Amino acid sequence: MAAKFINLCKLFLFIQKSNIKTAFLNKSDALINIIMMTINNLSFVFMWWIIFENKGSINGWHFGEMALLFAVTNNAYATFALFARGIQLLPEYIENGNLDNFLTTPKSSLFLISTSESTFANWGDYITGFLMYFLSGYVNWTSFGLMLLCSFFAFVLLYSFRLIMSCLAFIISDSQRLGDNIFMALITFASQPASIFTGWYKILFLTVIPAGLLSLYPVNIIKEFTWRDFGILTTGIIIFLLLSLKFYNWCLKHYSSGNRFGVR
Amino acid sequence: MNNIIEVKHLTKKFKLIKKNNGLKNFFAPEYKTITAVDKISFNIKKGERVAFIGPNGAGKSTTIKMLSSILYPSSGNALVNGLVPWDNRKKLAYTIGTVFGQRSQLWYNLPVQDSFALMGKIYDLDEIPFKRRLSKLVKLFEIRDLLEHPTRSLSLGQRMRCEIVASLLHKPQILFLDEPTIGLDVTAKEVIRNLIKKQAFEEETTLLLTSHDTDDMEKVCERVIVINKGKIIFDDSISALRDSYLNKKYIEVTTEGGEKIRTVVNTKEKPAKQAIDELVQKYHVTDMTIENPPMEEIIKEIYNRE
Repeated sequence: MAAKFINLCKLFLFIQKSNIKTAFLNKSDALINIIMMTINNLSFVFMWWIIFENKGSINGWHFGEMALLFAVTNNAYATFALFARGIQLLPEYIENGNLDNFLTTPKSSLFLISTSESTFANWGDYITGFLMYFLSGYVNWTSFGLMLLCSFFAFVLLYSFRLIMSCLAFIISDSQRLGDNIFMALITFASQPASIFTGWYKILFLTVIPAGLLSLYPVNIIKEFTWRDFGILTTGIIIFLLLSLKFYNWCLKHYSSGNRFGVR
Repeated sequence: MNNIIEVKHLTKKFKLIKKNNGLKNFFAPEYKTITAVDKISFNIKKGERVAFIGPNGAGKSTTIKMLSSILYPSSGNALVNGLVPWDNRKKLAYTIGTVFGQRSQLWYNLPVQDSFALMGKIYDLDEIPFKRRLSKLVKLFEIRDLLEHPTRSLSLGQRMRCEIVASLLHKPQILFLDEPTIGLDVTAKEVIRNLIKKQAFEEETTLLLTSHDTDDMEKVCERVIVINKGKIIFDDSISALRDSYLNKKYIEVTTEGGEKIRTVVNTKEKPAKQAIDELVQKYHVTDMTIENPPMEEIIKEIYNRE
């Protein structure tokens, strides 16, 4: 078991090394992409800073909370885009039959699919994420640790949600765009101050499109840790993760493979 | 010799949505069931080289995909190296190799040698044995000059040689080849066939090769299973098929005036060489092609004799 895990870690590092090697085929391009991604993120942050400067607060949320939200979502998205973006390509792999290549290897197909694609420019999201944390006004060792933990939880949620969306391609043909749109909806919802969602919207916000688990609870936990919030967050994320893995395995049994010409 | 592959009543059905216009179909779609593989049974011994041939849509690839753990069957059983493929996917993967002519297992942007290194890690191969194995295969498949090139820059024939090397790195006991010569020119096809045969012979690898090109089976395999509409219609040695159904040659000559003359020769009655000599004496021949009967004709012939 331990040997298997060590081998998987070695493979993960090797894949990341290959991804970096591919990205650095054109070094200047790679670095410009990171810088542009950071600027793009910061322009969005700047817009919210102006809103908070003029309004003061939105339902109790100030710029500090918004900065914590950006820290968590940017770090989570960076982790997803750098280390697991391949899951977004699953519909394409299903449609052209390239999924077959992943199913005939002795490693977890999900692991290989997830690591099959990486977007180097998303290192810019990490830069934004850490910058926003330091600008939030909630900086101390405890909150830093909680921010890292919540970012990881948020990554797991993003990954699980995207896996469910990608698996739709097993059932509905040509569902790539549908999956992309719903995934983007999750990120858009999660990028708003969580305090604006109340009543029925809040239920929707925590279940069907679980943006609340990406924004409301992480921000609350980093600001002021409570076991209740932590319990809700971890339970919600574990449910989504288990659901997505179960769904993927169920879908694999119904996979019909394709034969379109092409390369990986 | 023991059976390395055992297949019993293996069936695969696909459920497809009937294409109808209108909203009704969107909310309550109608389905039709297609039987791609219909209760097939066969055994393959260790080291055997078996061709699985049939026309497009016959069920060849579906069978290979079930045996290599990609697809779950609708019913029936199979044992590959003593394992039920769809229940032991990871364990089975260490003992089988797969090559799909229609797609690549190499990484598109990476140099070929990096793809091989990645495959080595995926199969948990230790550094020194991996290097030794790779060096042997590189020599056998003559791909030393291709190692530093990214996959995207290779020709189809070069890529196929690299694909086969990638599938052999972990020294599989069984190699599944799904249309390995598809899209290749005559010379590249010949090279690939020779290499596959040489490798299988040297390492006693069991081969299951699907193709709709009868030349693939004649050059590489010793046994042939013909499948049509999901059912096995012939299972015997290549020589039995050759004697019974591959005894015709289609010869087409182009004369100096541009006229094309096509003739069918029964090689049991007249050797192909004699027929060619006669044609050359009779016409001023500028070009000539000799072909085996197409797959469809062989299948028609098998049905007729039944």
